[in-house]
Amino acid sequence: MNTYVCRYCRQPSDPSQPTCPLCGAPVDLRDTISDSGWTEQPPIRDMAKLQFGQSHAQIAGTTVPVAEFNLAQGEMVYFSHHVLLWADPATRLQNMSMRGGWKRMMAGLPLIMVEAHGPGHIALSDNHAGEVIGLPLQHGQSIWVKEHRFLAATGNVRYDWSDNNVWYTTGDQNEQEWHYPMGQFGDVFSATDRPGLLLLHAKGNTFIRDLKPGETLLVQPSSLVYHDMSVRIHLHLEYPRNQGFAFWRNNWDYRNILVRLTGPGRVAVQSIFERPEAMEAITNHSYATRHRW
Amino acid sequence: MTCGAPLDVRDKVSDSGWREAPRLRDMTEFRFSASTCQVEGELVPVAEIALAPQDAVYFEHHVLLWKDESVPLESMKTAGGMKRTIGGMPHIVTVAHGSGRIAFSRDAPGELVVLPLHPGMELDVREHAFLLASHSIQYSFVRIKGLANLLHGGSGMFMDRFITAQYPGLLLLHGNGNVLERTLGPGEKILVEPGGFLYKDSTVTMQAVQMQLKTGVFGRHGMYLAEMTGPGRVGIQSMYVHHGSEE
Repeated sequence: MNTYVCRYCRQPSDPSQPTCPLCGAPVDLRDTISDSGWTEQPPIRDMAKLQFGQSHAQIAGTTVPVAEFNLAQGEMVYFSHHVLLWADPATRLQNMSMRGGWKRMMAGLPLIMVEAHGPGHIALSDNHAGEVIGLPLQHGQSIWVKEHRFLAATGNVRYDWSDNNVWYTTGDQNEQEWHYPMGQFGDVFSATDRPGLLLLHAKGNTFIRDLKPGETLLVQPSSLVYHDMSVRIHLHLEYPRNQGFAFWRNNWDYRNILVRLTGPGRVAVQSIFERPEAMEAITNHSYATRHRW
Repeated sequence: MTCGAPLDVRDKVSDSGWREAPRLRDMTEFRFSASTCQVEGELVPVAEIALAPQDAVYFEHHVLLWKDESVPLESMKTAGGMKRTIGGMPHIVTVAHGSGRIAFSRDAPGELVVLPLHPGMELDVREHAFLLASHSIQYSFVRIKGLANLLHGGSGMFMDRFITAQYPGLLLLHGNGNVLERTLGPGEKILVEPGGFLYKDSTVTMQAVQMQLKTGVFGRHGMYLAEMTGPGRVGIQSMYVHHGSEE
């Protein structure tokens, strides 16, 4: 009986292979764990293959990796249309029906998802230096993914999206502006009837941490890649102690906008994140903890 | 104080004298004062600092990736607020005090440059390239002199200046792409693409010079480069179009 569990995708795996056949992580790599407990996600080795059903994905390249799919008859993957790099003419491409088109458009989420049906070959890549992350999902498992991190999923993975409920507003009644530091909506992927494969693309390097029940951590909202559904998130506003510093605009504010993660569960962050918004004073916000130093 | 550079690799120096900054191995750990710094990742490296109770580091507030809840933050007084803002320099510099853990990263592929500064050193750094500095290093800014610099030099109007008085300190920079360093002799000159300039000793002078390029019979095209004059070190980065984090 195989007792090896891949330390990255957390699925029972085959230790005789050089890479985990489910997520592509090297098997023989020693743990790269920082002193504070973050595990560095090892890049999937060049040309490593990830098996799903009768099909497989091969990861080519290491700086901006390409996921090349060899799809078997009757199997399919779906993806956001802008990540398509090439497809052979035999692969059947069709639009995937999705709910909430207007809301998705307003939130800046991809409006068009494309299905690629085998047999045939298709290749996908994001256009940023970073890593492809393979996340095999067990039957019944769901995972939250930050918007714009999704690369592709197998046909048996259900795609849904949910309101992140992390927001704040600035400006007055006449000129109110809404801010969503980790995006208005998050993608939720679930393997409903059988296991499936989810591929993400993270910018820069990726780090994973397991939070214990009740353990908390403050992170930049836009650095999130994915987390288990058991992890709770809310806005956290931190006001550094002011050493006589003053703005010339009295509606500006000196603060750090972070999110507070509470375990239990797995969390992944990437080392590239967006610069936080300008310093306009916050007029309203979703549930938040505050700390004034 | 150490810089984490591998000891078992030889200096990589090009034929023209540029030395490649040592690529820090993943999970390299080094000390400064009573604190430690661990470098994680190789594409867009993260600097994770374990601050000892009496130590502090300062940084531009948007490079903070994550922190322990217990790490106190405060603002740092910076002189010339309006001038800094006009010059595109960070208006707010934040200080994190020990004890606790805090991590930083910039938003482009590149490498960390670890510069331990001995007492009495002065280093000029291009704006928005510094990741963090230890509390013993004084922080100010200098204007790049000359109207030509202001109008045409691509490295901006101001540079960060880091000075150590009587105590050593640690300065961490983020260079986009690869980082190369060259030591200029007294009076020795080198022309650098202004966007590629990363850091220099304050003894090195910098000014923008125009190169006249003829295009066709009547056409002329002006190309501006930064002329660096020794003595001292000059550091450059190989990726000077900023590939930031825009979605």
